[in-house]
Formats: sequence, structure tokens, C-alpha cells
Amino acid sequence: MSAPMPGDALAGRLTPSEHDAVRRLDQTWRQEPGFRGWLRSVDHKPIALRFLVTAFVFFLLGGLEAATMRAQLSRPENTLVGPDLYNQIFTMHGTTMMFLFAVPVMTAMGLYFVPLMIGTRNVAFPKLNAYGYWVYLFGGLFLYVSFFLNTGPDTGWFSYVPLAGPEFSPGKRVDVWAQTVTFTEIASLVGAVELIVTIFKNRAPGMTLNRMPLFVWAMLVHAFMILFAMPWIATASQMLAMDRLVATHYFNPAEGGDALLWQHLFWFFGHPEVYIIFVPALGFVSSMVSTFTRRPVFGYPAMVFSMVATAFLGFGLWVHHMFATGLPALSESFFTGSSIMIAIPSGVQIFCWIATIWYGRPRFTVPFLFVLGFVVLFIIGGFTGVMVASVPFDLQVHDTYFVVAHFHYVLIGGAVTPLLGAVYYWFPKITGRMMSERLGRWQFWLFFVGMNVTFFPMHWLGFRGMPRRVYTYLAETGWGGLNLTASAGAALIAISVVLFLINVVRSLRAGAPAGPDPWGGDTLEWATSSPPPPYSFAFLPVVGSREPLWEPGGMTVATGLRTDVREVLVTTLLDAAPDSTHRHPQPTIWPFVAAVGTAVTFITLIFTPWGVVIGFPMLFAAFTGWAWPRGDDHREQLMVDHAS
Amino acid sequence: MMWWGTLGFVIIEGSTLLVLAFSYIYLARNFDSWPPAHVPPPSPGVFGVQAAVMLLSLVPMILVDRGARRVDLRTVRWGMVIVCAFAIATCVLRGFELRALNVRWDSSAYGSVAWGVLVAHATLLLLETAESLVFTAVLFKPDLEERDLSAASDNAIYWYFLTLTWLPLGGLVFLSPYFM
Repeated sequence: MSAPMPGDALAGRLTPSEHDAVRRLDQTWRQEPGFRGWLRSVDHKPIALRFLVTAFVFFLLGGLEAATMRAQLSRPENTLVGPDLYNQIFTMHGTTMMFLFAVPVMTAMGLYFVPLMIGTRNVAFPKLNAYGYWVYLFGGLFLYVSFFLNTGPDTGWFSYVPLAGPEFSPGKRVDVWAQTVTFTEIASLVGAVELIVTIFKNRAPGMTLNRMPLFVWAMLVHAFMILFAMPWIATASQMLAMDRLVATHYFNPAEGGDALLWQHLFWFFGHPEVYIIFVPALGFVSSMVSTFTRRPVFGYPAMVFSMVATAFLGFGLWVHHMFATGLPALSESFFTGSSIMIAIPSGVQIFCWIATIWYGRPRFTVPFLFVLGFVVLFIIGGFTGVMVASVPFDLQVHDTYFVVAHFHYVLIGGAVTPLLGAVYYWFPKITGRMMSERLGRWQFWLFFVGMNVTFFPMHWLGFRGMPRRVYTYLAETGWGGLNLTASAGAALIAISVVLFLINVVRSLRAGAPAGPDPWGGDTLEWATSSPPPPYSFAFLPVVGSREPLWEPGGMTVATGLRTDVREVLVTTLLDAAPDSTHRHPQPTIWPFVAAVGTAVTFITLIFTPWGVVIGFPMLFAAFTGWAWPRGDDHREQLMVDHAS
Repeated sequence: MMWWGTLGFVIIEGSTLLVLAFSYIYLARNFDSWPPAHVPPPSPGVFGVQAAVMLLSLVPMILVDRGARRVDLRTVRWGMVIVCAFAIATCVLRGFELRALNVRWDSSAYGSVAWGVLVAHATLLLLETAESLVFTAVLFKPDLEERDLSAASDNAIYWYFLTLTWLPLGGLVFLSPYFM
């Protein structure tokens, strides 16, 4: 009989001993039931799913904030929302979308699918993964509770000083922003460490770096960018918090501090941030393009190199957010050059996808429609990006709606559109059910049209001088018509989102059963059941090519991992040769406790620096509980002190 | 495996220290003299003591690291006790270093960023001291496993990182005012 396939557990093609192994796996990796089990879970699929659902809730909240702004701006001198609330709303919209939705959702897609695509059972550090989710959740809850208590931040998602400093923003609003950022940075950094170590050390035997799916490369690049960018904003936000709390003067010009220092620190993070959001979407697109053209993506080395180049170049652009600050012309010119250069790797990728589609056999499913929509919208956004990269042009449109149009085209077109396609594509794997193609088409077209009707007029509004972040405008400006058009487009987007939610709910209840591989995909997540069991694969796959599911003659599997304890295979970095095993923990409450301790520390820090003293013992206790080896973890190879 | 996690945290926290070092140099350009006029320079003596203590602490740490690789429980146990003593000493010395800055954190941007560099590194020292204490306690558990010893090497890497970063950072804050 041929070797069992990774997903054979459900196919009934196992020998009795293989069946026993699967039953032991079921027992060893079982999820604990109930609320207690939910709090203690250390498995990557439930945790990633929580991230995804929570991120989409924040997406809806951010969307409601956007809808409110569009309603207010639909007519001149409208009175729906006053200036103070408007300031809070655009700050909440930006902070929610950038920190609470866009980055976490991308990391979460990686946390769910990277272990599956590389043929392992969990991420590298399961307890840390759980901790990351709780910190993220507490951060988001903290921001929104503050908002509902009229203490929401109101100085923009980038919180420039001196406006955000103690003199011009008394109270706790900006401190709420600073600590929300801290929560989300910790969660993102945790996710990044997980992705990097899992990808480097837990790949299936035979999956050399050269054979990794492009999605996995994208998540690796995303994770490295987080690792190098996020510490800058985490540190800067604490410096701002200290200026406000204990009268340091980092950003206070009166005592030798520097407002531009804030901008440098923020944008050194802030520009890579948008590529952190964008690069995973490139991975989604590659996955969907290869599946729906039934051929590998054209130019694999060029695709990998482009994503890596985008990451490196992305760290060299930040000053293009500061062109209007009076920096020396020569240094600004350098950043014009680098900002234009970064279009090159993106262009290379688009040409590779076009070549793939041209030479493949495309199937125009709903996910594929979103891929095509991405190409159109992202190219438009890329064009305006190259325009604003030029200093003289940017000096005219800086802080106008032209910039708003640009970044919504690249973020919605470049990230959200592929993400929606990815949901249609991977929903069957996560839930075992297909989404409705018919509703999906309606949703796609409403979304695509609505997006253009909302944001294209903003280019003209920018040319006509409408500034950003204003709560209203006079009728004499003549901006009313274009604003009304944009608001109508926003209504279309809102309807499309409602359709999306209806599709999700109906499909969860009554969608067609998906089976393990409804699309005929080429990557390993399609080699197991839908949804996957907690241990993901009954037998670990061994990989011989870049498209393991398209290899002729079926797949090879590896045996030998223990089934009576939670164990994963550790392989070498370059060639993924088996190296050792790594024991994984049982479910535990300590990551949750540690996250509570973290939340107590950072929230108390808003009110008093003694927050560190209060929170530290709790964190110490939680860390002790976390790190202490547990009795029920199958203690073996006990140590003996030979001198005693 | 844990080695990779430690490396990740080294990169993250190294970046944090780099941010403050960069801010220190950036803000110096806002001043005609550094330290500002009428502000005494920091006293480098305590920094010298701290640097010596941290360099000395590498000896037991290296012995612990090698002991763990040899699976020599005795060396690891008692070596870690000595490392903990050194770690606590460095935390105490950090308090004296803050006083030796001869400036308050709220007096000017100079004071703020000098304190910032020391406090950021001190946070990492405190966390590492706590981690070392917990690990040392674990080493005295009766049912210790061989694989539990590998945390000694991770501890060592992080300790080397803290020592090696303090030398240039402390040098920047305590010595550069004499040259800038």
C-alpha cells in the first residue's frame, strides 16, 4: 500500500497502526472545551482565527468612523459632527485601520496559514502566540473604551508634536494613543518573531528556501520589516508619553528638544508600516494567481527578490512624509529618488502576474476578480505615489485630499482588495464551507465601483486645495459636488461590506461543503481536511518541489514524530533537512495572565510612573508561571546532580 | 529553537537602544555646548565601575553556558547563582549611574535623553535579572530535565547583548560630553 497522504485520516485509507497514531494525535492535540479551554489555548489556528475576527471587527468600526466623516463632509457647513468629535473620529479611523486592523490581519493570515503551508503543526512559540493575541485585544478594547469615555485621541494617527505634547493637548487623550500603540507593537512584534522562527526552523523536510511558497516569502519579509520598524514607534511613543507624564523634553523646543525628531522617529516606522501591510497582500495575490491560472507564478526568483527589495527600499523613504518641513533640498531629493525607485520591484511583480495569467488558463472566480481589481487599483495608487514622490509636486498637494486619494488607493487597492479575495479563497479551508459566488460578484463590483467613486474625486479636491483633517468647508469653495460624490461612493462601499457580512454568515451556516481542496491549489494547506484538525497533518509531508500538490505520483510523508506528546520537527535553515524535535506546551493560562499584567502596567503608566512598580510584580509572577516547567508535560531524561 | 527567539528579542531591544542613541546625537545639535551651559558633565567613575562589573560578569556567564552544553548541572546551578548576584549588582549600580549624570531628566532635552538611554537599558537589565532569578530557581527543581538546561545558553546570549550594548551606550552618555 502506498504511503499515507497527510490528509488521509479522513479518507479511511489507513492501516490499523496508522489509525492508532491518528487517534493518539487526536488525544494529544485536543482542544480543551468551554470558556476555560478558550482562555488557555496555545494552538495557532484558534488563536489566528481570533486575530482575524477581532481585526475584522475593528475594520467595521474603522469603517463606521469613515462613514461618519463622509456623512459630515457630504455638504458644506454640515452640522452632523462638531470639530472636537471630528478630530477624534479621524484619529480613531487612522489608528484603528493602521494599528488595529491592517497589520494584525496580515500577521494573522500568516499565523494561520504559514504553519500549514510549510507542513508543521504549530508556530514556534505557542504560549507567546497566545500572549500576543491577548495584548492586541486588550489594546484595542482600551482604545475604544477611552473613546466612548470622551478620552479618545484627537491629534491624528501620527500624533505630531507640539500639538500632541503636554502644552497643547492636556488631558489623557494622547496618552491613550501612545499606550494603544505600545500594545499593538508588542502584539505585532510577537507575531513577527513567531513567523520568522517558524519559517526558518519548522519547514517540512525538503522545503528548501528555494521551494517555499511565495506567500511564505511574503510573510517572512513582513515579519522582518515589523522586527526592524516597530521598535522605533514603540520607543518614540514612550518618549512622547514621558514628555507628557514626567516632563521630559525630547520634543519640547523650548528646552532643546525637537519637534522634527518626532517626525523622523515616527516616519522611520511609519513608512515601512505601509509595506508591512502591503507585502502580505502580494503573497495572497501570488497564491490566488497560481491556483486560478493553474500554473506556477512566472519568475519565482524575480518575485522573491522584488519583495525583499521592497522591504529594504521601504526603510529608505521616510523623509518623503516630511518634504514640507524645510529640510535641506539635497537630502529631500535623495528621498525623491528612493521613493520613485520602489515602484520598480512592484512593477516587476505586476508584470510577472500578468505573464502568469497570459500563459495560464485563468478561471474568473470571485477571488480572482479581487486579484484583477487589485491590479487596477494598485496601479492607480502607484502612479499618484510616484507623483507625490516629487518634492515640488508634493509641496503643492501636501496635506490636501490628493494625498488621501493616493494612500487609500494603495491601501484599499493594494491591501484590502487582495485581503477580501483571500477571504473568499481561504474561507473554505478555515470553515469547511464555500462562500456564495453570486453574492461575491455583487460584493466585488459594488466594492470596486464604490471605491473609485469615493476616492477618485479626491484627487481633484486636492488640486482644488481642499485640506485634510477639516471638519467642514464653506460653500464658496466649490468643493461640495465632489464631496457629495465621494460620500455617495462611501455608501456603495458600505453596502458591499454588508453584503460581505451576509455572505460570511450564510456560508457559515449553509455554504456548500468544501472538501480538502476545492480550488485545486498547489500548496500544502490543501493537503489536509477543511477545517484542518488541531494537529494539522496526520503525517508530515515531505516536499520535492515548489508545488507539492501538483507533483505527479502523490506525496511522500515523514513518520517518527511522537504522537503521545506535542512535538514538532525542527529542520535546518537553508535545506530543511531534519535536525531535531521541539516539545510544545500543553494549554496554559499564563499567557493570558501575563497579558493582563502587561495591560495593568501600561494603563497605569498613563496616570503615574509608578505603573511600572505596580505592574512589574504581576508580570514577574506571570513570567514565572509561564516559564516554570510543568509536571504534566511528560518529564523525561531527569537530571541528577552528580555531586550529591 | 529558543536561541532564535532570543535573537529576535535582541534585535528588537537593540533597535530600541539605537533609537535612544540616535536621539541623543540628534538632540545634541540643538545645543551650543553639550552639556548645556551651567550643567555639570556626568561623573564617569560609576560608569567605569559598572563597565568593569559587567565585563567580570561575563566569566560566570560563559562558564554557565559551557556547563549547560556539557550537561554539567552543578556548574550551571552555582554559576547562575553568581550570575544573579552580578545582575542584582548591575541594577543597583544603575541607580548610582543615574545620580552620576548630575542632571535631572526634566531640566532640558539633554537631561531627558541622557536619562532615557540609561533607563531604557535599565529596563532590560531588570527584566534579565528577573529572568535569571526564575531560571536559577528552576535549576533547583527535583525533576529537572536535560532540555531545561538549554535556557542557560539563551540567558547567556542575552547577557552578552546587555553587556556589549552598555559599553558604547554608557560611553556615549558619560564620556562624549567631554568630547562633544
